[in-house]
Amino acid sequence: MVARLGLNNRSSARWAVPVALIIVLYLLPQLFGGGQFRVGEYEEVLSFLIIAVALNIAMGYGGQYILGITAVFAVGAYAAVLAAKYHPQDVGLVAMCVVAAIAGAVSGLIIGLPALRVGGFYLALVSLFAAMAIPAVATQWNFVGADTGIPLYAVLGFAPKINGESLYVIVVTLVLLATLFSWALVHSRIGHRFVALETSEQLASSIGISAYRTKLVAILISSTMAGAAGGLYVYSQQFFAPGSSSVNLAILLLAGLVIGGTGTIIGPLIGAALILGINQFFTSFQNYNGIVFGVILLLFAVFLPDGLMARIEVLSERLGIRPAPGDGPAAARTGAARAGAAPAGATQAAPAPDGGGRSLDSRSVEAAIAALPPWPPIIGAADDSPLIIEGAGRRFGGVTALADLDLTVERGTVHGLIGSNGSGKTTLLNLISGFYSLDAGQIRIGANRIDTAPAHAVARAGIARTFQAPKLMLRETAVENVIPAVELRVRCLGAESLLRLPRGIAANRRAREESLEVLESLGLHKILGQTASTLPHGTRRMVELARAIALRPSFLLLDEPAAGLSHAELELLTAVIRHLAECGVGILLIEHNVPMVLSVASQVTALHQGNLLFRGTPDELRADTSVASAFLGIDEPLEASS
Amino acid sequence: MTLFLTALFAGLAVGSVYGLIALSYTVVFSSTSIFNIAQGDLMMAGVLMSYFCLDRWHLPQIVTLLAVIVFVVALSLLEERVAVRPFLKRPGLGGLGWFIATLAFSLIIETAAADIYGQNPVAAIPGPFSGTVSIAGVRVADNFILAFAAMIVVMIALELFYKRSWLGTAMRGVAEDREVASLRGIDALRISRLAFIIAGLVTALAAFVVAPIVSANVSVGLTYGLKGFIALAAGGFGSLRGCVLGGLLLGIGEQMFDLYVNSNYEILAGLILILLILAVKPTGIFGTRAVREV
Repeated sequence: MVARLGLNNRSSARWAVPVALIIVLYLLPQLFGGGQFRVGEYEEVLSFLIIAVALNIAMGYGGQYILGITAVFAVGAYAAVLAAKYHPQDVGLVAMCVVAAIAGAVSGLIIGLPALRVGGFYLALVSLFAAMAIPAVATQWNFVGADTGIPLYAVLGFAPKINGESLYVIVVTLVLLATLFSWALVHSRIGHRFVALETSEQLASSIGISAYRTKLVAILISSTMAGAAGGLYVYSQQFFAPGSSSVNLAILLLAGLVIGGTGTIIGPLIGAALILGINQFFTSFQNYNGIVFGVILLLFAVFLPDGLMARIEVLSERLGIRPAPGDGPAAARTGAARAGAAPAGATQAAPAPDGGGRSLDSRSVEAAIAALPPWPPIIGAADDSPLIIEGAGRRFGGVTALADLDLTVERGTVHGLIGSNGSGKTTLLNLISGFYSLDAGQIRIGANRIDTAPAHAVARAGIARTFQAPKLMLRETAVENVIPAVELRVRCLGAESLLRLPRGIAANRRAREESLEVLESLGLHKILGQTASTLPHGTRRMVELARAIALRPSFLLLDEPAAGLSHAELELLTAVIRHLAECGVGILLIEHNVPMVLSVASQVTALHQGNLLFRGTPDELRADTSVASAFLGIDEPLEASS
Repeated sequence: MTLFLTALFAGLAVGSVYGLIALSYTVVFSSTSIFNIAQGDLMMAGVLMSYFCLDRWHLPQIVTLLAVIVFVVALSLLEERVAVRPFLKRPGLGGLGWFIATLAFSLIIETAAADIYGQNPVAAIPGPFSGTVSIAGVRVADNFILAFAAMIVVMIALELFYKRSWLGTAMRGVAEDREVASLRGIDALRISRLAFIIAGLVTALAAFVVAPIVSANVSVGLTYGLKGFIALAAGGFGSLRGCVLGGLLLGIGEQMFDLYVNSNYEILAGLILILLILAVKPTGIFGTRAVREV
């Protein structure tokens, strides 16, 4: 397995930089002067780095812009201060961090929960406002020491057991543990869901991921961590005042993340250490820091949205320290591809030397078709009822996209859906998927209504789909794009996957193996480890198809799967559709390639401007003139013209 | 009762500040789908300009108004050029990149304004009028009435512009569908520039009329920006009347909070309002669609 994934390609030089950084971090007091005051300042910055790691989890991976996370940090810190003030004899570092973490989680929920209902920049703004409001309120509140805060060194009976060098070592270790945690999280099924959600809410729910729950988890985890950072801050600084956490801190942290590279593990640490270090230790031009940081942040946001880490990774690839993407799945999240990921991969999608480009020729297609493994439905396979659409109608403003449509997809058959652009085909798919709500009618599997269910529940009922414009996680490799779909049915708790408990390890491994198998069955063995952004359009479609198959659905909705495919890929696709139907999957196929539809479908529905134009077998369609005249403006049977 | 009325009129005045900022957000958002968080700091830059013209250079009010307009519109255009346009040209450029860019621009203005203003104590800025009128037995500063009137006039003007003029319709069309708009010969980048000019005009006018209310407190741009957002969210995204209503709701809410709860915690009024709105009606009072896609 290791050899297959190319893990042995990793060069040891890759670890040199992080290891050196860790050593420097531990020896900071020895290298740059200790002194109690100075070490205290180091510890202050280090506590802030934990907030940066927390923010990166929510924002860099989960796409949740909880910028005002310093509000959560402040609440955690105040909780720790109060705990120490009222129970000076009983609380130590652990107790203070736990209290702070709980307070942080609660406040994170309050700040985050309503914003989840709207999403996007609402969360950014509401949380920033909270980051401004909480210190402002504290300034006026005597209970928490108002303006001056509560100095713990003045609290009788509070004597921290850990101090001096050992405290410094513990603080550094906690920062490293937080980083390690974020790595483990990102490479667990929880992290996979985050990235799917960050890519597209529709993509996430199409593979059964609840967007709402995932957002909630992202915010909970990061605010727990930021709250705990507050506890650590208070323990090491023996003090907390409104000025300790301002909106400025939030903006500096954001700048650190963007500069270091959001969505990388150590980028945010490096970026935040740079920014906060400059802010803390170069005080002579502090007045102008805002301008300098603002300009840097602006430049990065516009010109280097992937941050420094992406540059470093590109550089290290050039120097041969890292394998280039395409060498193997081990190159999962590496540089060149990542640098190209942002602009939709369109400009830099040059195929890698080895695995890139079209991966299929006619010989390998025949071999692949012959070797297709059985893919009987697993999700929703308990009963064998058909997918029934009854009287479905949907309007957008004054436009009727779909009117009073009846349609049934039997299991084990292919139902072709054709029609010109705007005839309502994709609308129907989005209605079934739960992305749109019905104005009239209902959609059921047997007797179970699914039109009232949220989108992720539709996927969990056994309905998979592909998209007209493939939705892939562009920064991830092909296999990583398929894994979250398998994880829907390979059950284990998120925590088990995160903490690498036995069941979690087994599930993680099984998800990866099954994903590799599906991809290989579709003839994609050459691009397993290639970053999605570097894949040509047709291959992206095939990866998306693999993801849908990997869900092992009872029904599969395909939205123009043949568009942009090469001849060989089209041949394979057609065979795969037939094969899936033989395995018992009910398929609804939208396609403009009418001959292809007629060759696989047992029933064909033609839509025209939201209305049913024709329903029948392919042979009946071939003989019918109404469809041809509606599509092509000619009065001959379709077969003659196509 | 007098206390109540005094608070009410103060709330109307402060609410007009929030409402005007919300209006300028809407102008930009409705044709670029970008929420320009720097709007509050742009207004404070205008207020600073007012302060220099009137207090330091002793220029007449009308000259000051012109100077503020030129200055704020220029800044607004600069922002469009450096912080917004790159994201309109490359729509694929990661999620909320534009948000970070406008926040960075906001930080630059705020720091620069603070440096220029220096350590001086917050100075009052004279308004175009200095008298008061008596309404229901309460003396109300002319400048309060001016701010309120300015907000209403701006709202009506914008409403007429969007509904009646070809250009206004085009500007809304761009936001709804960039591709279709460009097929009809509407240049999305030109529209974006125009949106920033109009938003700059609104902001400049706002800065001029609210200068006597907010004083030369240059470090509060982001605060006003965020409160303007709350006004917008409360009133409903995309609705001009919502901006006005939301602004007044927040302004009056704050003053009532001061009067009946505790003036020390005034900032909580905004937080409570936004959390309530999001919990009860996330689209805002006049809003019809949620702003999901960003």
